[in-house]
Amino acid sequence: MRKFGLSQFAMLAPAQGMLLLVIALPSLYVFWLSFTESSYGTSPVFVGWENYAAIWNDRYFWRALVNTLVVINIIVYGELVLAFVIALVFVKGVPFRRVLLAMVLTPYAISEVVAIVIWKFMLDPNVGSLAKAMLAVGLPEISWATNPVHGLGLVSVISIWLHLPFTFIIIYSAMLAVPKELYESAIVDGATRWQSFRFITLPGILPAVFVALIFRYIFAFRLFSEVWLLTAGGPARTTEVLSIYLYKQSFTYASFGKGAATGWVMVLVSGVFAAIYLRLLYRRGFQRDA
Amino acid sequence: MRESAPGIALRAAVIALVLAWSAAPVFLVVLSSFKPTPEIFVYPPALVFAPTLEHYRTLFEKWPDFIWTLRNSAVIALSATLLMVFSSVLAGYVYSRYRGTALAGSAFFMVAIRLLPPIVITLPLYPVADFLKLSDSYTLLIVLYATFFVSLGSMILKTFIDGIPDELDQAATIDGATELQVLWRIIVPLSAPGMVAASVFVFVYAWNEYLFAFIFTTTRAKTAPVVISEMMGSLTGVDWGLLFAAASVQLVPVVLFVVLVQKYLIAGLTSGSVKG
Repeated sequence: MRKFGLSQFAMLAPAQGMLLLVIALPSLYVFWLSFTESSYGTSPVFVGWENYAAIWNDRYFWRALVNTLVVINIIVYGELVLAFVIALVFVKGVPFRRVLLAMVLTPYAISEVVAIVIWKFMLDPNVGSLAKAMLAVGLPEISWATNPVHGLGLVSVISIWLHLPFTFIIIYSAMLAVPKELYESAIVDGATRWQSFRFITLPGILPAVFVALIFRYIFAFRLFSEVWLLTAGGPARTTEVLSIYLYKQSFTYASFGKGAATGWVMVLVSGVFAAIYLRLLYRRGFQRDA
Repeated sequence: MRESAPGIALRAAVIALVLAWSAAPVFLVVLSSFKPTPEIFVYPPALVFAPTLEHYRTLFEKWPDFIWTLRNSAVIALSATLLMVFSSVLAGYVYSRYRGTALAGSAFFMVAIRLLPPIVITLPLYPVADFLKLSDSYTLLIVLYATFFVSLGSMILKTFIDGIPDELDQAATIDGATELQVLWRIIVPLSAPGMVAASVFVFVYAWNEYLFAFIFTTTRAKTAPVVISEMMGSLTGVDWGLLFAAASVQLVPVVLFVVLVQKYLIAGLTSGSVKG
């Protein structure tokens, strides 16, 4: 191939430059900030591990961490199960495939803010149709503002609603990519429907499913807007997740050091998921490509 | 394949549930925005009613700056898309046509760095934006949005450019074309579908984004999602009709866009995450 030179370097500069200036350098600066204390209008003073010790001893930090881990697991596996069922139906062939597909993809285009508007309205105890329908079949009222379990539960539902299109598309495409001949020869060999699912479909889609799963872990971990707009972490800080905790430490309580320390904890946790994800990608031939 | 009656019924039920789950809530909001206020609260929701534009009228009377923030959203989303596509075509071209250890390393950096949680960088960017007089500006949001999607864009464009035969480049070079001419005359026109695929993601993201817009804008560069969240919070006894009108104006264009470019979206989703 051709030789990489100065002009190729220049072509990479806009993309790499933005990533470096907007994400990489600020993240390193956060690392430095996490060992200092500062607030609005004061310059950073080095304090060593104090910020990390402070959040370690803060029960609100632990609550936020546990909430995050519980909620992202519900989101990621909830999506996976739903996406799987829908993909199975679609792969068998559905009428008006394009129209149905467009409808399944709709939530992808909806902003978190509008999603909150929609779900708050549907579940409003006084006016919501869904709330009334649930009441009619004996289900309890969803009091997201006062009951933390309801609050985080609804956050999970809204988040699944928003991101199901992504997970669905990945699994559906993986199912479509399984060669048809495999099913045909399985039928010839007298395999039952369950056997061809178990020994052809499942192994065929598993690698893609696993990558999608890790990818969704990384992105679900960022969860902010749904919680902020629905409960803002309340009542009494019971529904905070890590990014809400970070936001409040930094901007509400104006302790930049503790906010930065929380930020680095988040970088490390998502770094673990990212490492798994990147390893999987490399195995799938990323190395050969680039 | 032949199928039993219960099997067909089961699949039909799943499809009905899927539609009720994914599309019905959005449909309900748009429909309700045209209902007279008392009709909004009728249970079960009526499909037939005398449509009215009263909520849209109230929206533009009570929130005159809403139309302004829509304009902000449009300018920011389109500019971020342009910036991202421009950078991604260049990077995608280099990653497609050149090889080397340093290059592989920089591609790895590109994929890895975008996995960092965006909220982490709000803290250091806040004072920097202030210092550079960029807080509450279009520029800041445009650059932020383009940056978070330039990795995906470059990988999508690389995949599409890989599909353009290298012989075309070579033939043009023999005819005396410079590399920039090759890029402009061959790569750019032939990778147009890839550019559309890449644009879908950054445009939808930038149009809908809340976190950065909420933290970095106050008045001038405020976007539509931020104003809608304010409408939700500031109203005592929520005016649902007004909220639905605002939500509909915000969501209808982007939903139509996604439906139109559906096949690019699907191609990009799979190539951008599962294939790296």
